[in-house]
This record gives sequence, C-alpha cells and structure tokens, in this order.
Amino acid sequence: MSPKGSTLTRRTLVRASAAALALPAIARHGLAAEPIRIGWLATFTGPLSSPTIGFDRGVKWAVEQINDKGGVDGRLLEVISRDTQGDPTKAVNATQDVISRQKVHAIFGPVNSGELLATTPIMARAKVPSLVAGVVNSLIDPVKFPNAFRVTPSNHQWDGAVLNYCQNILKVKKVAITADATGYGTSAHDDSVANFKAAGLEVVYDAVIDPAQPDITPDMLRSKNAGAEVMVSWTVSSGMAARMMNARAALNWDVPIVGHPALGTGEIGKLVNKPEYWDKVYQVGYRSCSYGPDGKLPKASQEFVDSVRGKFPLQDTSLWWIASGVDAMRLIAEAVAKTGSSDSDKIIGYWNTLQMWPGLYGHYSFSPTEHNGFLGSDVVMSKANTAREGAFDLAPGYV
Amino acid sequence: MRSLLPYALIFVAALLLPLFANDYWAVIGARAAVYWVLVAGLNLVVGYGGQLAIGWVALLTLGSYTASILVARFNLDPFVAYAAGGVVGALAGVVVGLPALRLRTFYFAMTTLGFATIVTQVALAWQSVTGGGIGLPGPLLAAPFDSAWGFYLLCLGFAAIVTWMTANVAASRYGRSLVAIRDAEVAAEATGISKARLLVIVFLFSGFTAGVAGGLFATLQSYITPEAFSFDLSVTFFIAILVGGRGSILGPLIGNIVLTLLPEVAAPLVAWSTFLYAVLLLAIVLLMPGGIAAVLDFSNRKPLASDRSIVPAPERVRALFDHGPVRDNIVLSKVVLAFGGVRAIDGLDMTIRAGEVHGLIGPNGSGKTTTLNVISGYYTPQEGEAFLGTRVLPHGVPQARSALGIARTFQTPRVIGEASVLQNVMIGATIDGRASFMEAALTLPRHRSDERRLTARAMAALEVVGLAPLAAVRADRLQHSELRFVEIARALTGRPAFLLLDEPAAGLSTEEIQRLGILIKAVAEAGTGVLLVEHHADLIFDICDHVTVLNLGRELAAGTPADIRAHKEVVSAYLGA
Amino acid sequence: MLAAILAAGLAVGATYALIGITYNIMFSASRVMSFTAGQLGMLGGVLGSLFISRLGVPILPGMVLALAGCALIGLVTEIVAVRPVLKALDQHLYVLSTLGFALMIQTFTAIEWSTEPQPFPRLIGIGEGGPWDEKFWLPVVACIATIIGLELLYRRTLVGRAFLAIAEDNFAARALGLPERNLRMASFALAGAVGGLAGFAGGELLLAFFANGATLNFLGFVPVALGGLGNNRGAVIGGLALGVFQQAANFLMGGVFAGVAVFAVFIIVLLVAPQGLFGSPPARRV
Repeated sequence: MSPKGSTLTRRTLVRASAAALALPAIARHGLAAEPIRIGWLATFTGPLSSPTIGFDRGVKWAVEQINDKGGVDGRLLEVISRDTQGDPTKAVNATQDVISRQKVHAIFGPVNSGELLATTPIMARAKVPSLVAGVVNSLIDPVKFPNAFRVTPSNHQWDGAVLNYCQNILKVKKVAITADATGYGTSAHDDSVANFKAAGLEVVYDAVIDPAQPDITPDMLRSKNAGAEVMVSWTVSSGMAARMMNARAALNWDVPIVGHPALGTGEIGKLVNKPEYWDKVYQVGYRSCSYGPDGKLPKASQEFVDSVRGKFPLQDTSLWWIASGVDAMRLIAEAVAKTGSSDSDKIIGYWNTLQMWPGLYGHYSFSPTEHNGFLGSDVVMSKANTAREGAFDLAPGYV
Repeated sequence: MRSLLPYALIFVAALLLPLFANDYWAVIGARAAVYWVLVAGLNLVVGYGGQLAIGWVALLTLGSYTASILVARFNLDPFVAYAAGGVVGALAGVVVGLPALRLRTFYFAMTTLGFATIVTQVALAWQSVTGGGIGLPGPLLAAPFDSAWGFYLLCLGFAAIVTWMTANVAASRYGRSLVAIRDAEVAAEATGISKARLLVIVFLFSGFTAGVAGGLFATLQSYITPEAFSFDLSVTFFIAILVGGRGSILGPLIGNIVLTLLPEVAAPLVAWSTFLYAVLLLAIVLLMPGGIAAVLDFSNRKPLASDRSIVPAPERVRALFDHGPVRDNIVLSKVVLAFGGVRAIDGLDMTIRAGEVHGLIGPNGSGKTTTLNVISGYYTPQEGEAFLGTRVLPHGVPQARSALGIARTFQTPRVIGEASVLQNVMIGATIDGRASFMEAALTLPRHRSDERRLTARAMAALEVVGLAPLAAVRADRLQHSELRFVEIARALTGRPAFLLLDEPAAGLSTEEIQRLGILIKAVAEAGTGVLLVEHHADLIFDICDHVTVLNLGRELAAGTPADIRAHKEVVSAYLGA
Repeated sequence: MLAAILAAGLAVGATYALIGITYNIMFSASRVMSFTAGQLGMLGGVLGSLFISRLGVPILPGMVLALAGCALIGLVTEIVAVRPVLKALDQHLYVLSTLGFALMIQTFTAIEWSTEPQPFPRLIGIGEGGPWDEKFWLPVVACIATIIGLELLYRRTLVGRAFLAIAEDNFAARALGLPERNLRMASFALAGAVGGLAGFAGGELLLAFFANGATLNFLGFVPVALGGLGNNRGAVIGGLALGVFQQAANFLMGGVFAGVAVFAVFIIVLLVAPQGLFGSPPARRV
C-alpha cells in the first residue's frame, strides 16, 4: 500500500478527456478544468490499519465511479492520500501538507482519535471543509470548528446502541463494563459507566484492563460473582476480546458479550479456542450493513455489493468502512455539483442544509448548530461471528 | 567546531525560509526547532556526558502536560506556562537522571525507559487533570505567534538561544568535565570533578530545555494525548545525537534537522521509517561512531609529523608554579589494606616530603600501585591512616584530592581520546574555575576570564612537557609516550603540592626517560613532593632523594638510593646482583 | 481467583525468567547486555505460529525450527551488533548497536508478520482453560528444563565448562587456547534458543505478537536486575516473583496502575540494591 500522492490512473484521465472533447461546449475552453482535490489522511500502515484499508476501497471506488462519468461539471476528483501511521505528530505534518502544499478543497480523515484531536484545530484555522470519521465526542463543535462534520456515529451513539440493546432487548438489570488501557479505551469506559448508571442500570463490576494481560479469568470471575448478566466490552484489541471469550467458556458462564465493533473482526475467529466461543457476541453494527431476518441486505447496500463483487475483496473487511468511504466522496462531489463551486464556504454551506441525506452507510442530517449528522437509529447490534462479504446478521431481537 | 560559519549559514537559511515557502514548511521547520530545543539539552547528557538516557521523552511529556494544564485549567499566560513546564522538566530531569550515579549504563538506560512509561501511564490514568485518553488542548498563543510563520520564528528564537547556550557550555570547563566523566571517569575524579554535582546541574538544565520544548510541542500539536509521546520519538531524539556525533553541537543539530525532514521527504518510506532509523543507528555505531561531526572534523585530518620528539622545558616549571619552602608532608602511618583475605598493604609507614622525589619500588604485586591508590583516595585502608600534614586524607573520596593539591598519573594513560590535547590538559585545573554553570552558558565575564586563565596555564604546562605544538590535536592521534607526558601536563596544570606518578617511564625510550627524569627533578625543585612508583631502577637511583622498597605489602627497606643499592635483601629479592 | 492469578503469574513469570537467563548467557559470554533478548522471546512465539499454524509443520519439528531460527538470530546478533563493539566496551556502544538491531527485528516483524496478535497453536491439548491448562504450566516446565539443562551443560560437559571459563576470566581462557570467538558465537546461539523457548512455551499465553518484544525486553530484564547479573537462579526467583506481583497488581489495581506499579517497584529496588538482591558488588576499577 503506497498511497502517497496517489492520483487517478492515466486510463481514467484519457477516458474523461475523450468524453470532454466530445462535448463542444467544453472543448471551447481549451484548458482542462481544475480538479477537485480531496485530502485523505489515515493509518494505512501500522497497528489498527484495517479500518483505513476498508475506507480506502470505498474512497477509490467512489472516485472512479464519479470520474468515469466525467467528474463534477467537468472537474475530476483527485484524491491525495497521506499515511499518518496512527501518530499525531505525523498527522499534523500531513494535514498542513495537504492544506498548504497540495491545496485541497476538502479533507476526509484522519480516522484515529488521537490524530483527529490534533488535526481538527488546524483544519478549522484554514477553514477547510472536513468530514470526520472518528468517534470521540469532543471533536464536533459547530462554534469552534464550523468546518467539521461527523459522518460516522459518535461514541455516544455507539454507547447508546449498546445501552439500548441491554436495557430494551436483552432486558437486563446488571452489567459489567470493561475496556482496554488505551487512550480510547479509558475514556470509552468512563463514558459508558456513567451512561449506564444514568439510565438506571447497575454496573456491578467495571475495569480497565491491560490488553497484553495474558489471562482475563480473574476479571471475568469477579463479574460473574457480582451477578453480571451482560459483559460490555469496549476493547479494540482482538487478543483481549478472544481471551474474554475463552475465559467465559472456561467458566461455563453463558452471558452475552456486547460492545465495540472490534468484537467482530475476523482475527478473533482464529484466536478463540473453539469456534462456538464466538457465539452470543454482539457488536455495534449498522442497518445498512446488516442482513435482516430475511437474510438480505437493504436494497441500496445489496446493489452496491453486487456491483463491486470481484473488484476488490469484501471478506477480509467490514462493509461499513467501505460504505463510509463511498459516502464521504459522494458528499464532497455533490456539494460541488449543487453549489457549482469548490469554495470552502459553499461546500460547508451546502452540507449545513442536508436533511436525511441517504448515504450508503447511513442517513445524514446537518445544520449550522448540529454537526453530528449520523442518524442514531441506523446504529444497531450485529452478531459477531456471522460476517459474510463484510456484513453481519442483525443481533437477535431487532425487528 | 569553533567556526561560527556553519551555524550562521543554518540560521540565516532558517530566517529566510518564510520568504519562499508555504505554511507546510512553517510547521516542519517549527517541529525541527522544537525538537532541537530538547535535543540540544539532551546532547549534553548523552553526547557529552555519555549517560544513555533513552527515555528522555518523559520530560517532553511532563513539559507538555504542565504547560497545557496551566493554560487550559488555570488560564495562565502561555509563556509563563512554558517556563513552568521547564521547571517541572528540570526537577523531573534530576529524578530521571540521578539513577545514573548508582547504576551501570544498561540498567540506567532501562530505568529511563521505565520512567517514560510511567509518565505516559499516569497521563492516561489521571483523567481529571490530564484528560486521560482524550488529552487536552495545548497552549494557544496570541498574535503575532498565532500564525504558522509567527510560531515558527518563535521556535527558531528558542532554538537559537539553546544552541548558543549549549555551545558555550560545551566550550567551558563543564563541557570538558562532562566528556571527562564519559571517557575517563577515574582520571576525572583525580582532577576533582564531582560526577554527582556535575550531572545534577546538567540534568537540571537539560530537563528544563526538554520541559520548555514540551510546552512548545503542545502548541505545535494544538492538542496532546498520551500516544503522541511514543517510544519512536524518544529513539529519534537519541539517534539524532548519535548520527550527529558525540561531543559536538553542530553534528546533532544537523542530525536533528535531517531526521525531522526524512519522513517528509521520503514518504513511501513512512511505513519503514522506524526500521530505517534503526538501520541508521546500527550503521553509525559500526561504521562511523563519530557521526557527522567526525566527517566534518577537517582539522584533525592533517597529517602529523612522523619524526616528532618530546623535548620538555624543565626551566619553565617555575613559571607555572613555585611553592616555596617548607610545607606539609604526606605521611602514611601503619596502613593496612586487604582485599578479602589478601593483605595488599600490610602495615606501611612512609613519608613523602615536599620538594623531594620519593621512589617506591618492588616486585610485581608488592603493593606499589595500591599504595598510590590509597593516597589518592580510591581505596580505603582497613587500618592506619594517610595524612596530609596533620589532617587525615578523607576516605573514599578521590575527587577531594585535587583541592588538597594532590595530583596523579595512571599506570595506563587515562586520556580522553576524542578531545584535544589542550582540552585534556585544561581538565587538570577544573576546580580552579570560578564561573557557575549559568555564567558559562551565557558567557558572562567571569567565565571568559576563567577560560583565559585556564588556557594560559594549560599551555604553560604543555610548554613544560614539550608538547605545545600538539595542543590542538585530538589526543587519540598521539603516540603512547606523548600520552604519558600529556598526563603529566594535566597534573601540573593544577599546580600540585604533591605529584603521584604511576610508572611514568613504562613504554618510553631511553632518551625520553632521561628527559623525564630531568623534568621530575625540576618539578620537585619548585617545591612539589613527588612519589615515583617505578620499575626502571636507573631512573629511581638517578633522581630520587628517598626510596622505599616494598615486598608483599611491607617495607623491605627504606633510605637513600645508595643505601638501597647496597641493601642485601633488596638485591636478592628484587634488583639482582 | 487466587488459583487463576497464581497460575497466570507463575506462567508469565517463568517466561520473564527465561528471558532473564537469555540476558545472562549473553552477558557471560561477552560482558554485553543486549537489547535483543526480548525480541528473541517474541520471535519464539512468532516463528512457532508461522511454522506450525501457517505452514502446517507438525508440532515437534515446528518447535525445533522455531528454536533454530531464534538461535540463528542470536548468532547474527553476535556477529553484527556485539563483536564489532567489543574493543570499546567502555564506550557502551553495545547499548546502541543492540538497540538498533532489536528495533530492526521488531519493526520488520510488525510489517511483514502482522501488527495484530496472531494465534499460537495448541501444543498438547491438555487442560480446558482452567488453572491447570497447559498454557500455564508449559512455560514453568520449560524454565525448569532450561535450568537443569544449563546446570548439566556447565558442570558436566567440556563445552559448558569452557563457557564458564571465558565468562570468569577472558584472558586466562584465551591463554589456555580456548577458541574464544567460537565459544562466544555458540553462547549467543544458545541464548537465542533459550529466548526462543521462552516465547514458544509462552506462546499460548502471549500469542504471536510483535509488540511482545518490547514488553519482554523490559520485564525480562527485571529478573536480571533483581537477581544479580549472571545469576540464573536469582533470575528465576526474580522472574517468578515479578510474574505473580504483576498479575496480582493487574487484578487489584487495574491495567493502567499495575503498569505503573511494576515499573516503580523496579526502579526503587534498583536504587536500593544496584547489584540486585542476590548480586555481588562490582570489581575494582583503578
């Protein structure tokens, strides 16, 4: 994966130019119209690069689709990607690079919380329209960062989905909440404990656990002895998640494990001692990327999957990453198309008008005072061990 | 690196950058400058002092969080916050660095890594103060520093100041002392350098610059989280110093700029950047341990004359010092020193009189060097005492001897190979410097007069031993015999009341031994009491006023050379017929 | 609860002890502390997973291959990072050369193997996840076997006694005609195999994860610091104590504070007893 400065292939450019030449109106201009440059900053290499690789497939596919049709008003989309490696210092350098040197019109990413927290102020100072794909709650502030729009759920929405599932579908009263000892984990843990308590549930045990800890039995035992009916897990570490499931089985403890999307990563399948240990695990998922009780994806998603099957792998990634990448590119392209300009205030102004914009991944609604646009009810719980072509079965109990 | 030209060129280029580059380069340039503020201080610890503090990033973290917390939660002025970050860094620097005094190198390196991890973990855990995993915003500056170039120029200013100060320290007796404890710790002690006091000062200073760098870093990043302070960053700082070369300011400066720019310029390498840094580190250590500084060291490439000879000028001793008549003697009284069950010295009485040459001879293993080590404070006797006049020489504190006027040389020359001959010799008068560390860093008048005085004295000592033409040459280019005389010059620079020589004639030619003898006599005539431990019987009998013969740790015989030559047991045990 | 903590503590402690022994063997042969000790442990797990899980080699040959691979890395360490800097030991360049080499191993593994922990194969199939599961007692068995093996090697075989000779007094050994360089190379290969064994035996517990290198580097060094340099028995006691302390701390204080506790205790113990709790004071320097 060498994404630095990746531009479109000559093939696409030649095709687009041929299409342009065929239209006398545009042929009159002589020069090719200025491309719409999009900065795409993410963790292409290093730990936690799988989401980025998924997003990237969606980004590339969407851009190719749009450019094949001649781009936006004759302007082609040009994606300038930078690998930030999960390092906030590299992310700051890369952001300044795409803003000042590459002069992009909009930015998608970074994906990692630590990087996003550092780069958001820079993008705000430069007033560059930015689509945020991270979950940290404090990233979105229409007053401080009027240029930043979140196109994924916030962590609050994730937690809300888990809470809703525990309270209203599983109908439990006592939960245990665990997370790993990382930046994201510690804050997700604190938020979750507070939210569950505020909703009236009893948190009988909670812990922040070192993801390298070789055996989680003591914490599982404590949770079991305290009478927990559900284990809520916010860890992003596949190793820790697998150890939890193994320990649950060793203790003969039949409770659901519910939580972070990472509970569904393919690696866990290889790390659990027996495949059935991965049963009764439900992670945050999306209606758009879930097989309903009829075994089918929603119509738009199914069409998408059918059209890309064979073009790039789906089995080793999550569909929602790809879908999110597609939506981001489409949001940028549509903003330029509808306003006839790639000026930042025009793009921002357009996004502020969106109501229930139907994306592949979810529905987005923004206003000048609300930049958390992802529709909460699009967030659901999925069955972790049911991945097919990147999508999951809905967890039991949904209608 | 005396020449100011390279620094001037870099500084001017940095000043001109805003004129022809965009904001991106402002960020990169500011980053290089901020890192340099930390690396320049760390350079004194690692490059000059040889203390392998790999986990120094802990201080960057502390400085960052201190500054950010003070601004975000207490609304302090950012510059005051930076200074506060510096103070916290200074104190933490001492805490992180102090184990260096107790632990061997590898252990110390590990403890610094441990500190770095502890600081990051605490930052993660202490949510109410540090924001935990979410972190907190860095200090925001007001105009004109809130623009990319404004901030860049601010950081450039800090970088320039810290370059100037560390260069001054490097050229002062503090810099020389640091290199001394790095490469010749035992000899450094003999010249009165206190490793503990020196390191504490340096850790305070370097910790301060690291803390200030932390505050600037937080502003550069706009927002800090624990993951920004990675082990990779710590290793990068470290490698910049190694790549630049030990004992140099310019080398690490260039190294730091290169390492900051490298991932930006070679973007396909981003994924492999840490791997390449590691390869670079290994390559430098194996192929070019001197780093960039060694490559730039043109003056030491000039060939030396191969037909050099050492011609001391004994008549010049009096110009260096003249102690005058009657002074205290060194007296050993019933000294017993045992290593486990072995009595290396078994009840020794000996007097070294001022103005006389006292020879100490005997078979190998008879305790000669051990006696010298007791006098110079490296060994503590189990029984008996060593006196200077009526005062007991303090036990186990070799660095106190220099102030008492006792200097020595060593059986194998302990000289700093990478320093010049003049720098080596100036170390002999370290304790006669008056300027404090900060006065040296700011080149205040007292420091400058120190340097003038010490340089003059060292040159005078070199004239005495006949090595003045080699003053600017790196010591590791000298022949063995020249190194022996360098050690003597170092000892003489301190104008010692007593000079302890440990087999100075070993490895010298006959000609050189003769000249050495004349020199030692001249030193004694200037009032210094000389203890000469030797195997060369001719030299002993030529120049000594008194001779003590040791055997199995006890005095076998003592008296004038004539007495000893005739002594039957001495002849049979040692001298031969 | 107590059983689980003790089982896990002794298991990881045995792994740390083996890494400590790796440090000791390298030090005895060369007076050099090498940053690669932890990486060898990591490679034991990664190579085991590579050969057995990914390439389908049967368990016993897979183990032999994994240990051989680690022995090879140990050998390369000696040639590339240790031998060239032996002439200037006082400059401590070995810290930097072994650090560089260790980083190379770590980042290469991260890029080429995976940045996520990969599964380690089930070796025997005993125990169903409880405190008597094989993943807990395999490392302890490996540790005991190594100690016994080393004792036999050092006391009963000529090669072993030659190792002791060059460790005790390098010059005298050379003067006696012992092939110092070859012995040192063999020592490093042996150290590589021991480190690999640590990672292999601990593989089911620690998984095949590139980041294990850095963790084992530090936590494998603590037994050496506690037990005294060159003292294998001290390393075992120190390692087991550390393992149990760490697991107990994890359980009582939570992940973040346990990390702080381990590092803090390490630093305090070192400052109080720089030679370790069972070590001996350093030799004369003048």
